[in-house]
Amino acid sequence: MSNIGDLQSLASSITAVTSPFRNYLNDLYEKYRVLNDGVVADYIPELALSKPEWFGICAVTAEGQVFEVGDCSQLFTIQSISKAFVFGLALEDHGREYVNSKVSVEPTGEAFNAIVLDESTNRPYNPMVNAGAIATADLIKGQNGTERLKRVLEMFKRYTGREHDINVPVFLSEKATGYRNRAMAYLMLNFGMVSDKIDETLDLYFQQCSVMVNARDLAMLSATLANGGVNPVTQERALDERYVQDVISVMLTCGMYDASGEWAYRVGMPAKSGVGGGILAVVPGKLGIGTFSPPLDAKGNSVRGIKVCEDISQDFGLHLFNVAPGDRNLADWIAGGEGVDDW
Amino acid sequence: MPKVISIHSYRGGTGKSNFTANLATTVALQGNRVGVVDTDVPSPGIHNIFGLEPEQTHKTLNNYLWGESSIDETAYDVSANVGIDGDGKLYLVPSSVKADDIARILKDGYDVKLMNDGFRSLVKALQLDYLFIDTHPGLSKETFLSIAISHVLILILRPDKQDYQGTAVTIDVARQLKVRKMLLAINKAHSKLNLAALKQKVEETYTETVAGVFPLSEDVVQLASEGVFCVKYPEHHVSQEFQKVAQQITEA
Repeated sequence: MSNIGDLQSLASSITAVTSPFRNYLNDLYEKYRVLNDGVVADYIPELALSKPEWFGICAVTAEGQVFEVGDCSQLFTIQSISKAFVFGLALEDHGREYVNSKVSVEPTGEAFNAIVLDESTNRPYNPMVNAGAIATADLIKGQNGTERLKRVLEMFKRYTGREHDINVPVFLSEKATGYRNRAMAYLMLNFGMVSDKIDETLDLYFQQCSVMVNARDLAMLSATLANGGVNPVTQERALDERYVQDVISVMLTCGMYDASGEWAYRVGMPAKSGVGGGILAVVPGKLGIGTFSPPLDAKGNSVRGIKVCEDISQDFGLHLFNVAPGDRNLADWIAGGEGVDDW
Repeated sequence: MPKVISIHSYRGGTGKSNFTANLATTVALQGNRVGVVDTDVPSPGIHNIFGLEPEQTHKTLNNYLWGESSIDETAYDVSANVGIDGDGKLYLVPSSVKADDIARILKDGYDVKLMNDGFRSLVKALQLDYLFIDTHPGLSKETFLSIAISHVLILILRPDKQDYQGTAVTIDVARQLKVRKMLLAINKAHSKLNLAALKQKVEETYTETVAGVFPLSEDVVQLASEGVFCVKYPEHHVSQEFQKVAQQITEA
C-alpha cells in the first residue's frame, strides 16, 4: 500500500497526543500553571513585554517522538541558552585544546555577569558566564560579522530542523545597553584572551542571544544532544559526536548560573537556562526537554521550568547518577499500553 | 481507574448515537457515574435522546474547543431526564446545533490536543467511572484521537457490503493506533438472518469479538429518539442485548 507511511505518521502524531507521557506532562502543566512566583526579566524593555502566563512544556525522545503541552509555539529570545551551542561550534572550529586555552570550564559560583577572570591564566571561568561566552563567540570562524552570524544561525537550524531569525529590537537594545559586557570584552583583550575585532564579536554575542526560539525548538536542541549530536527527526548531524560530551558536561556544572551545583545535586539533568524564560534539559540517550515560562527566580532561572524539570527527574528517576528505578518507567509511559495508569 | 469507551462506525446511519445512549444509560443504571461526549461536531444529535433541548445548553463542546469555557461547564446532568435514580449519574457534553457554530468549527478546525485534555479533565472533575465518546462517522483526526484514547473501542456495523469494507479499514487504523480492546456490534440485522451464524461469520472475518447483535427493530424506530429505549422497555430483547454488551465493558 503506497500511503502506509501517511497512516503511520498520522497515527504516531495522534498517539503522541494520547500517550500517557504527554498526559503526565499535561498534569504537570496544570499543576504549575497556577504557580505565580518569580518576575519577568525587564533589564531591557523588549523582554518586559513577555506575558507571565505564557507556559509551554515540550519533550522529544532520542527516537524523535514529540510531546507538547501549552504554549510550545510562542517565540522568545534564546538568551544564555545559545552559549552552550556556540561553545560546541567553537570546539568544531578549533578543537578542544585550543578552546580550553581561551576559556576554562570551571564553575564560578559567581553571578553570570561577574567581571572575573582566572588569576593565573587570565581565562574566563567557563563558556556559560558572559565573559566566557564572549571569548567563545570570538572563536567562531568567518570572513566577517555577517558570515559568522550566518554560521551560527545555520548551526541552530541543524539542531532544530527549521530556520531561525534574530529579534532585532532585542539585539539593538542589548547592544545599546551592554556596557558591562563591553567592559569584560576589553578586559579580556587587555590580557590577549580575545582578538581585537571586539565590536564584531560583541555584535555576534548579542545576536546569538537574540535568536528566536520556542519551547519545541529547545526540546529539539536538547534531544539532538541526547541523541549524540544528530537531530532525531531530520537525522541531520548538528554537532561532531566527539564534542557532545563537552557541551553536556559544561551544562551540568555551569548551565544554571550560580544555582548549578544545587541543580546538579537535586535534578541531575544537564541543563541550560536563559533570561527569556527558557530552560532545556538533556537526558543523554533518552530525552530532550524544553520549557518556556518567563517569570524568573532571583538567580535568573524560570520558576515553572525548574519545577517541571525537578518533577520529571524525580518521577522517572532521570538523575544522571541515579541507579534506583524511578516510580515510573519512561519507556513504558512513552509507549503506553497495559500497566500504565495515567489517570 | 476510569474507562473510556468510543463508539464508532465507518459509515453514517448505523445507529451510533442510539447505541451510545442506550449503552451509557445501561451502565449508569448499574450505579456508575457516566459521562457522554458528543464529538460529532458536524452533525450532533445524541442530546435529543437524553431529552436535552438546545435552548437549555448555553455552553457546548464547541465553547470548550474555542477556549471559552472549561469542559465541566459544558456538561449537563441528564440523569433525571432519562429516569436514572439511585447512585448512578449520567452527564452529557453536547455539541452545538447552531449552524454558525458548526460552520466555525469546520472552517477554523481545532487543536485535537484540547479534545484529549478535555476528556481527561472531565473524568476528573465529575469523578466519572465511564466516559463514552459518540463520534462522527468515517475517519478523521477526531476519530483517530477517540480510538487512541479509548480503553474499549466499539465498532458498529450493519450486515451490508459497504459497512463490511469500511469496518475493515477502521480495524486497520485501530490496530495501527494500538487500541487496547476492540469490540464489534452488529446493528439493524434483518429478522430473517440467522443471527448466531452472522455473529460467527463476522468474528471469523475480522478476528475480533462481536459483543452484541441487534435486530432491526420497529419498536426502536417507533420511539424516534424521544427517550432512551432501554429505560422505557427494560424487558425488551434489545435492552437485554445492551445488558450483555454493558457486561463486557464493565468486565473488560
